[in-house]
Amino acid sequence: MKEKIAVLMGGRSLEREVSLASGSHVVSALEECGFNVLALDLIPELVGTLRSEKPDAVYIALHGKLGEDGTIQEMLEFLGIPYTGPDVLANALAWDKDISKRILTEAGISVPASVALSGDGVKEMGAASALDLLPGAIGGLPAIVKPARQGSALGLVRVDDASGLADAIISALGYDTKVMVEKCVEGMELAVSVLDDGTDPESARALPPVEIVSSTGIYDYEARFTEGAVDYFSPARLTPQQDAAVRAVAEEVHRTLGCRDLSRTDLILTADGTPVVLECNTSPGMTVTSLLPMAAEADGVSFPELVERLACAALARRG
Amino acid sequence: MGTARITFDRWEGRYAQRMSGVRSSAVRDLFAAASRPDVISLSGGMPDVARIPAADVARALDEALATDSSASLQYGGSDGRIPLREVIVGLMAESGVRLKTADLIVTAGSQQGLDLLAKTFLDPGDTIVTEGPTYVGALQAFSVYQPRIVSVEMDADGMRMDLLEAELAVLGPRGAKFIYTIPNFQNPAGVTMSPERRRRLLELASTYDIPVVEDDPYGRLRFEGGHILPLRALDAEVIYLGTFSKIFAPGLRLGWMAAPRPILDKVLLAKQAADLCGSNFTQTVAEHYFASDRWRRTLRDLTDAYRQRRDAMLEALAEHFPSEARWTHPEGGFFVWVTLPRHLDTTAVLAEAVEHGVTFTPGDAFYADGRGSSSMRLAFCFAKPDEIREGIARLAEVLADRMDIYRAFVEAGALPPEGDAEASDLTRRVTEVSP
Repeated sequence: MKEKIAVLMGGRSLEREVSLASGSHVVSALEECGFNVLALDLIPELVGTLRSEKPDAVYIALHGKLGEDGTIQEMLEFLGIPYTGPDVLANALAWDKDISKRILTEAGISVPASVALSGDGVKEMGAASALDLLPGAIGGLPAIVKPARQGSALGLVRVDDASGLADAIISALGYDTKVMVEKCVEGMELAVSVLDDGTDPESARALPPVEIVSSTGIYDYEARFTEGAVDYFSPARLTPQQDAAVRAVAEEVHRTLGCRDLSRTDLILTADGTPVVLECNTSPGMTVTSLLPMAAEADGVSFPELVERLACAALARRG
Repeated sequence: MGTARITFDRWEGRYAQRMSGVRSSAVRDLFAAASRPDVISLSGGMPDVARIPAADVARALDEALATDSSASLQYGGSDGRIPLREVIVGLMAESGVRLKTADLIVTAGSQQGLDLLAKTFLDPGDTIVTEGPTYVGALQAFSVYQPRIVSVEMDADGMRMDLLEAELAVLGPRGAKFIYTIPNFQNPAGVTMSPERRRRLLELASTYDIPVVEDDPYGRLRFEGGHILPLRALDAEVIYLGTFSKIFAPGLRLGWMAAPRPILDKVLLAKQAADLCGSNFTQTVAEHYFASDRWRRTLRDLTDAYRQRRDAMLEALAEHFPSEARWTHPEGGFFVWVTLPRHLDTTAVLAEAVEHGVTFTPGDAFYADGRGSSSMRLAFCFAKPDEIREGIARLAEVLADRMDIYRAFVEAGALPPEGDAEASDLTRRVTEVSP
């Protein structure tokens, strides 16, 4: 019997269902690879179970709050259990779309013009009275309004008319205390997954980009998890130059945020050929229909191979 | 010690297509996460069975075994035991409905009645009409049979007949398989259909030749106001679903269906396939429980308790809830329906409310089409008055922050003030009649 791997999934986040789907997919792949696999829910018994089961490594199949914001990673470091994916800091940076955009901008990577608004700004400082400045500040509507820290595009709304901004902001503030009002960038929507060797960020290598075409024109939570609402092209319909450009940007994002093992950068390729980065995911979906597994498949890497590689990278970090 | 281990469904992918529309919701997962003892539940519609004297049940059980032991342990007729149907005929007569025992069958709760009606009447793609919002268990029972659900809004007087008429005009004669309504203390809205609306509903149903399904679980739990005759009392073609769950106890799983005989005969075929016959054991216990008059005192005690809890909830809502919120004032039953400004998503509120130790049911659970996202159903039937007050206070805390943000936008002129004009009909009219 090979090493014991605990797959963490579920939790109380709004992405519980997706996480359970990712987790069960990962569990069967790891079992296929011969590992001794343990499926664990993120509930108050978790630490007790980890201490009694003593897994050799943890595979993180959690999405959203606690799983993708550095919290579980910090706990696992404290318990001395190696885990898959980026470390605490990279998770914390990527999770906050406001902070990560500032870091990416510093590194010379294109991101959409945006303004971050906090609930405190609205309540304590009267930010609501500056709403009229928003369209100008981001270079005009339409805008995408979304919680700064939330996965799966939950609470994301497209605003075409200034009169809809307040509604969208209030609704997004229902998911997080900080929201992003972001210039809606037109172009081809792409998800570019990146893998590295688990030790050296310079080894980051992008998988074939996947193109997303949503029938409703917006890739929101509903579209993501409704069958037939979205068409995927894997690999994306890109020229060799475009392909190289978007892969290079995704690798740059991976390195800049200090990611490890894997990441998935979502970006828009504009008509003039600029890749504009929307966000970087540190625990991308691993369900049967998810983008990273789709990209790996296009690269000739089967799902079990992919998962085994990630598990081995974590095992190699055992103290 | 507890464990965090998960086991998967290894048969996933092998189930019938019809089950795909029937998913356990994310909300249910949130409730599962909220099983801590300090969490106050304003979500479940559970009767307060602790108020039923155990001695009365024990006596009924003893008598059932002493006098009917072989019958109660044996298979029975699929339409239910005649002595229990006689009890039901008596109960229905008190509500103003004259029946013979042959006009009704016993079901495993009225929930089975819903399933059997759907099984008997619905092909995939058939249209049915319901109130919007409506009982989540009915939506679940119906959705297995893959119908198209048209929902009709309500106001303080129940389903709006002008809107129903407009829908029926589009659907045409026999354009729907049935119209499903909960006329008394509706679940989840808490409103009651007025006598005028009841007559109009029957007129429309007759004009368009569409059967009416009347689901009446709460009819005897009236706190104030006069009794209103059931639809079935006005029209013998109405399919009526009743239950012992609220006048006795849900643990017995006993309900009934009264309907025209041809419909009952078809439904019985479906019932035989489902369970051959109901439980003779619980039927005999119920017969003996209702043989003495003690159940009337128990039901009065229960109704008094529910009234006190409703009062506690309405007082706490008035004290703690934001002034922009609107809610219904039920004259009976189990539920209050609250509508918040339309920007507030009550599923997101629930995720936070669970952390604050209180649960409710987000409004979109009661619609087949995702509406209701800024509404919530609050159940006052199970928690004690003090717990209800505490639960409402906790919920108000969760809402306070969101309301501060909302008001800041209104004050800055970025949003129009949302007065009564924007509240739904359901809550607006109610607020007008009982300020």
